[in-house]
Amino acid sequence: MATSTYLSNPLVTVNAVDMTDQCSSANLTRVIEALESTSFGKTARVYVAGLENSTLTLTMYNSFAASETYATLAALVGTSTTVKIKPTSAATSATNPESTLTGCYLETLPIVNAALGSLDTIDLVFTGGVYSVAVA
Amino acid sequence: MTYLIVSSKLGVVGDLYTPAEGINVEALLFGGFIVEQSTPKTKKSAKTNTEPNEE
Repeated sequence: MATSTYLSNPLVTVNAVDMTDQCSSANLTRVIEALESTSFGKTARVYVAGLENSTLTLTMYNSFAASETYATLAALVGTSTTVKIKPTSAATSATNPESTLTGCYLETLPIVNAALGSLDTIDLVFTGGVYSVAVA
Repeated sequence: MTYLIVSSKLGVVGDLYTPAEGINVEALLFGGFIVEQSTPKTKKSAKTNTEPNEE
């Protein structure tokens, strides 16, 4: 049984712009590539750490209004930027750590994802960059 | 170059904006979140043209 209740309500910034009110899903995964170092004589595969290649995947409501989704992202595709996410909008602390990917790359930007009767949502994947976490 | 915040999604409107490491300033300019603040030029002293005295 869970010992604490955590309702997802993270604070998300993309290139320093607060995108929380346009974001409905966020998934930050820290990845450190595994390099196989298994040698003769071993009975199981073993690995060592390679390069870090973390990803932040966001689902956002698309908006072409001023200071909203498109305005934030249009000039970021094909470039590197900084994204931040923390569990809640409260002050950064050990129980509300702020994770940052500095210099992560945005490879693709869906422009329109329209369907009849549905809100336009887009999925973004920020890849790479240097991961850091702040607790104060 | 200094920048002014013009969108509340970035910070307090009217405040100076100092980009942190890794921030794409061109994207912020393109999106209309900041504007470049022109540094005031020092005014040159007015020239005084004195007409030659032809008396």
